[in-house]
Amino acid sequence: MTFLDIVLRGLIRRPLRTGLTALGISLGIAALVALVGTARGFQRGWADAMKARGTDIVVSNMAGALTPTTFDESERDRISHLPGIKSTSVLLVNLTSVEDAPMVIVSGREWGGYEWKNLKLVSGRLPRDAGEAAVVLGKAAAESLRKKVGDPIQIEAQQLQVVGIADGGALVENGSIILSLPLLQQIMGDSGKINVIDVEVDPSLGESGIKRLCSEIDRQIPEAHALEAANHIGDSMAYRLIHAMSWGTSLLAVVVGVLGVTNTMLMSVFERTREIGILLAIGWRRIRVIQLILSESALLGLTGGIVGILLGYAAAKAIEMAPAMRGLVQADFTPGLFAIAVAIAVGVGVLSGAYPAWRGAQAQPGRSLSA
Amino acid sequence: MHSDHVFEAQELGKEYDGGQVHALRGVDATIRDGEFIAIVGQSGCGKTTLLRMLGALDRPTAGQLLYRGEPIPELRDPSAYRAREVGFVFQEFHLLPTFTAIENVQLPMLGMGLSADRRRRRAAQLLEAVGLKHRFDHLPAKLSGGERQRVAIARSLANEPPVLLADEPTGNLDSENAEMVMDLLNRIHRERGGVLVLVTHDAAVAAHASRQIEMKDGRIAPCYQSI
Repeated sequence: MTFLDIVLRGLIRRPLRTGLTALGISLGIAALVALVGTARGFQRGWADAMKARGTDIVVSNMAGALTPTTFDESERDRISHLPGIKSTSVLLVNLTSVEDAPMVIVSGREWGGYEWKNLKLVSGRLPRDAGEAAVVLGKAAAESLRKKVGDPIQIEAQQLQVVGIADGGALVENGSIILSLPLLQQIMGDSGKINVIDVEVDPSLGESGIKRLCSEIDRQIPEAHALEAANHIGDSMAYRLIHAMSWGTSLLAVVVGVLGVTNTMLMSVFERTREIGILLAIGWRRIRVIQLILSESALLGLTGGIVGILLGYAAAKAIEMAPAMRGLVQADFTPGLFAIAVAIAVGVGVLSGAYPAWRGAQAQPGRSLSA
Repeated sequence: MHSDHVFEAQELGKEYDGGQVHALRGVDATIRDGEFIAIVGQSGCGKTTLLRMLGALDRPTAGQLLYRGEPIPELRDPSAYRAREVGFVFQEFHLLPTFTAIENVQLPMLGMGLSADRRRRRAAQLLEAVGLKHRFDHLPAKLSGGERQRVAIARSLANEPPVLLADEPTGNLDSENAEMVMDLLNRIHRERGGVLVLVTHDAAVAAHASRQIEMKDGRIAPCYQSI
């Protein structure tokens, strides 16, 4: 028999109570894993989409809402001549409901821009010209909208036709409806307006060169902000709000977990007052009693953490599959996130066990035995 | 102090509830190495209080209590004293209900620098010595009263303490089991030596002791004061 056996025995003597408490912690950890993983996946999806498009720098103003605020198309002329820029392409990106799908990314791209060349069609064709009332759907968008080549599609009041389906190479790209910029400007009534300038840089330009170029672009276009493609979504107010909310919600769930474990451990200590007295009478040190109770609560946290990771993973997959979210997010799970989740769970256990452990160690062996 | 004095009590007093209850009122007593002492007296006379003080489970409010010349209430590490110097046997056995017989015997050995294997082997030897070879893996609830007390006796010997303190060890047993437990304690004391202090209100049990101390109203009864 080892110390760990004694710890385990303390937990399994009340299996239902232990199970429910571990479940309480696991729900908090599941919320953390699912929400933070999904938020990170959202950022990762955007970064991948940019890479697939061949974009190195994104110039936009993400501070306001979920989609960037619009500015004038001519702003691009202020930067296109800058050294290090290979090409630029302007876009109008919108998040809107299309037919049955509550939220789809609609991406109007400059006709002839480099992104059209990087688009890999899996069926159909690209629009013939900028004026054709035609769209290309990303694979996931085609699936969630249940469209194939040749089907009609309605965006706002405009009737269009699906002419091609593309593999965007990244989730966000695959979840988009892609059409020519002038067509989307006309549909949205935003003539001459864009909200994103995608920049492709010279391959010789290193990371520091890209950073310098971003600063230069910021000077030239003060109403927008230039960021390396991988970072640009993280800069948006909406994303930061989602990120903060996911941590906030998770931490709230964790606080509930702390209260649950504290209650369980206190009950456990109270009902074992006599046993703790016996252990002290046969020579156990108080510090060992503290270790026993803290180990029990830490193990409770660890169990909750592991179960929570599994539940959170399942929940994030369910979010991915939800009709409203299909093609928009794919949770990004890293060993780092799981490690943080387990560390928080064990921390919850130890924190929650601290007061009960102290209470347990205050037992007077003489008095506890007569209790 | 004589070199063979294991315990020495001088004017030992214990008050509870801010002086409303006097459990001990000036007890003077000496216990020498090798003695088997029975502390006798009626319920509430203070004999269990005295035993608990000998085991550092309770602190006196007056007087001195020495163990081999050291004041027990001022021990730097009372838990080490309880672990190494004394072994307790209680009237209600006080075994941990979720641990088997052999696990209960191992509990005092944790943190004593023995490997898990050595702890188990020693616990097995002790249970064999008290005649419970066939009961290693039984939970206390599956043992008879006499068997539980024998497990408790084995546990009290786990760290080979020189002093055994038994509080009404036969109080919850029928006469047959009581006799068996007393024979066992006698045998252990004979074989191991050291000190055995036993609290009882049963004259037949006290008769096993080499010396009796009778207590009344928190004092040692007058005829025993010369001891």
